[in-house]
Amino acid sequence: MANYFNSLSLREQLAQLGKCEFMNPSEFADGANYLKGKKLVVVGCGAQGLNQGLNLRDSGLDVSYTLRASAIAEKRQSWKNATDNGFTVGTYDELIPTADLVLNLTPDKQHTAVVEEIVPLMKRDSCLAYSHGFNIVEEGMQVREDITVIMVAPKCPGTEVREEYKRGFGVPTLIAVHENNDPRGEGLALAKAYAAGTGGHKAGVLMSSFIAEVKSDLMGEQTILCGMLQTGSLLCFDKMVEQGVEAGYAAKLVQYGWETVTEALKHGGVTNMLDRLSNPAKIKSYDLAEELKVIMRPLYEKHMDDIMSGHFSQTMMEDWANDDVNLLGWRKETGESAFEKTAAADVEISDQEYFDHGVLMVAMVKAGVELAYETMVSAGIKEESAYYESLHETPLIANTIARKKLFEMNNTISDTAEYGCYLYNHACLPLLGDFMKTIDTDVIGRGLGLNDFSVDNQRLIEVNDDLRSHSVEKIGKVLRGYMGTMKKIV
Amino acid sequence: MHPLRFQQCEIRLSDVYALKDINLEIAPGEHWVLLGANGSGKSALAAALVGEGQLVSGARSALPRSQLVSFEVQRALIEAEREKDDSDITDEVFIGTLAREVLAGGSPDITHQLVEAFGFSDKLNLGFRNLSTGETRKLLLIRAIAAEPELLVLDEPFDGLDVDATAQLVDQLLRLAQATPSPMTIVLVLNRLDELPDWVSHAALMVEGRIAHQGVIKEALPIIRQLLQMQRDDLVIPASELADRVPTLAPGPLVKLISGCVAYGDSVIFDKLDWQVNPGEHWQVVGPNGSGKTCLLNLITGDHPQCYVNDIRVVGYQRGQGESIWDLKQHMGYVSTALQWEYRVSISLANVIISGFYDSIGLYSKATENQQAIAMQWLELLGLSDRAHQPFNQCSYGDQRLLLIARAMVKHPQLLILDEPCLGLDEVNRQLVLSLIEIICASSETTVLYVNHHAGDRIKGIERVLNMVDYA
Repeated sequence: MANYFNSLSLREQLAQLGKCEFMNPSEFADGANYLKGKKLVVVGCGAQGLNQGLNLRDSGLDVSYTLRASAIAEKRQSWKNATDNGFTVGTYDELIPTADLVLNLTPDKQHTAVVEEIVPLMKRDSCLAYSHGFNIVEEGMQVREDITVIMVAPKCPGTEVREEYKRGFGVPTLIAVHENNDPRGEGLALAKAYAAGTGGHKAGVLMSSFIAEVKSDLMGEQTILCGMLQTGSLLCFDKMVEQGVEAGYAAKLVQYGWETVTEALKHGGVTNMLDRLSNPAKIKSYDLAEELKVIMRPLYEKHMDDIMSGHFSQTMMEDWANDDVNLLGWRKETGESAFEKTAAADVEISDQEYFDHGVLMVAMVKAGVELAYETMVSAGIKEESAYYESLHETPLIANTIARKKLFEMNNTISDTAEYGCYLYNHACLPLLGDFMKTIDTDVIGRGLGLNDFSVDNQRLIEVNDDLRSHSVEKIGKVLRGYMGTMKKIV
Repeated sequence: MHPLRFQQCEIRLSDVYALKDINLEIAPGEHWVLLGANGSGKSALAAALVGEGQLVSGARSALPRSQLVSFEVQRALIEAEREKDDSDITDEVFIGTLAREVLAGGSPDITHQLVEAFGFSDKLNLGFRNLSTGETRKLLLIRAIAAEPELLVLDEPFDGLDVDATAQLVDQLLRLAQATPSPMTIVLVLNRLDELPDWVSHAALMVEGRIAHQGVIKEALPIIRQLLQMQRDDLVIPASELADRVPTLAPGPLVKLISGCVAYGDSVIFDKLDWQVNPGEHWQVVGPNGSGKTCLLNLITGDHPQCYVNDIRVVGYQRGQGESIWDLKQHMGYVSTALQWEYRVSISLANVIISGFYDSIGLYSKATENQQAIAMQWLELLGLSDRAHQPFNQCSYGDQRLLLIARAMVKHPQLLILDEPCLGLDEVNRQLVLSLIEIICASSETTVLYVNHHAGDRIKGIERVLNMVDYA
């Protein structure tokens, strides 16, 4: 199979990359009606599969689950999940031929095998839905001509997809139609009904393309989301220990710090994250971020270029074929890092202290978010996509690090994210070597320790203006506004 | 234990709540009851007795080894399970901590004896999150007693327990309170004076974060009773919206369940349950903890996924025929403990009531002026009108419960489902809620389905009883 993106002309590539617009709520007046009376069959019953299915059924749609015969015979967890919730469960042979819409919600890595197995069983003129486009775009999967291929991707974890639906709301959702596979021109109607069935239309739906989704998703996950947080964790921890900060404290500051500072990011963007700092610390953090952006920009550009050319997915798939030798080796290395092996101390760190003692961490998040966003936009990806794949998702990974640290974080994210994360990390650690020599515990570990918080007015105004006028802040404000009142969950 | 002494203490429990002027001495072997209205600070004082909160001023003696059972502890455990739920990152559905693991820390002998006494042995291998409200409560009581504390603080321990479990707990507490040579010191927080055991020796009444009255039970109780007494006459329920937003229902039964069944794997909760609810026929559903009362009501509300494998018709919709859950919910009002745990949003009290018009948790639509006016009338009725714009999540458990009851009633639904509505309510508010339910039962618009363990909470107008024991 050949890389689909590379098979397109430049003109087509740019058109696909630049596709991403916020859909007007009035476009969803019909709700899930287009799928009423049709038969939906979900492949895979993990958290995404189960929770999307529960929502779709509560919206009046006919949903059942298909699992491999062995999973049914052995009554595996996926079988229990589906049957305890009152769903019909059957083998591929039993259910796929009856389906009008097949929802492929298995992990990326299984897509080729699963799709090759189910497509021959699918009935004529039916529809295949993905929640991630890697298989189509990077692996170049060719789906039978009569089948419509769409993507519906809720931009939140499965449990949240369900929780928000039950509240009477939803989560922001990205939809796309694969232009090669829209034989009856009904792809958009199907994708809209599917999104409405999960409740996504209440929180906002972005109309994008398979290509824009894949290229931006890969870029975000390997740079700011996983890569920057991994590299930042190792550098910040080692620096603190080297400067005599108690190791347990340093481990805790890093493990939970990302989560705390990006919570501010989630609610009010980069601006709000920096506004949580004192004025002198804000200026310091801003300056560090500027410096980091200059040093790291070529690395972000290299990642974007390798993603665009297909070089990234090609190397990764070679490693898949080679029994994941690189991936597993790197994973082991992460497990042996000093940060990973040091338990967080049982000390109280207040919400504010994470900011005050983590000025460098704030700078790293700012630099990473802005670089990922800027690089994506300059490569032709729309601002909306770039926002979701950089700023919006950073708190999710930060939360994972808080709960599981790096080794387990890498273990649980997708293989594409993990592979990209290691590439980034191995390049970024040496790249920041000289920069880290200039760093002391005032910006990581101990705080500025000032008695005098005065700053120069002009300088503060410049910094504040610059923060607020960045494009990621402007689009973020619009998109967060669409999501309704940001709900504080206690 | 040594006497536990608080002298002129101010204790800060949260950013917005503090106990003030606390002077209290609890000697070993004394047994106290803490009374007070919802939001008066009795749960806060109970928490302070086991060392929670920050002592801002005053002096406190060393704390005894203690255990607390309360809704807050229960909620915290459920929160902790939610935190542990990694399904969003592993994409695997989460089972959670097993009941037996929750009990692992206590004395094995006492744990074993209590598990037997409470008839809990067949629940030990269930996930903690899959237990019913009453079962979770039993589990926490067993855990607390089996830890053999010097001081046992139980905040509304009888709430949510069925008749058998209540009798069992009364026996167990009597034994602990009168154990020789060293009885356990017990502090109870109670909302209902009819639950007061006769071995209680002292009482204290909380009012607005302060101890308003305290003393030996015989002398204190008559005064406290008087202070708690309040009359509520001429209750009027605020009107619903005039607008015909909700379509009217075709005539016919509101609920028709044929051979209903809920089961998890091989474990059957109930089976072969036939039930028809006609308009105007109010029902009480009874049965011991874990007999499936809540499961049954959730089949009706659509919150239980197995409604799709049952032959059930609700407000005119045969389930699983392409109806949306929101089509049904617009005809129903609903209150339960699970709803209260899920209602984790920081919107204002007024908006919580208004969200009842939209069947949402949180408010995602702009309320009409009429809806706002109705919400204010409800707040007035509940005595909360001065707090209309405060955030819901900073209310006491009892006040939250009152608001959710108003949310359920606000649109005068055709079907009102009240799953143990009085849990956590004080004497005065319990009477208020029972009166409201009575008025609603007497009106012709709404049919009520009601679960309550307390025989004393029978409601005039609810004649029909469904006993889950018949379907076990």
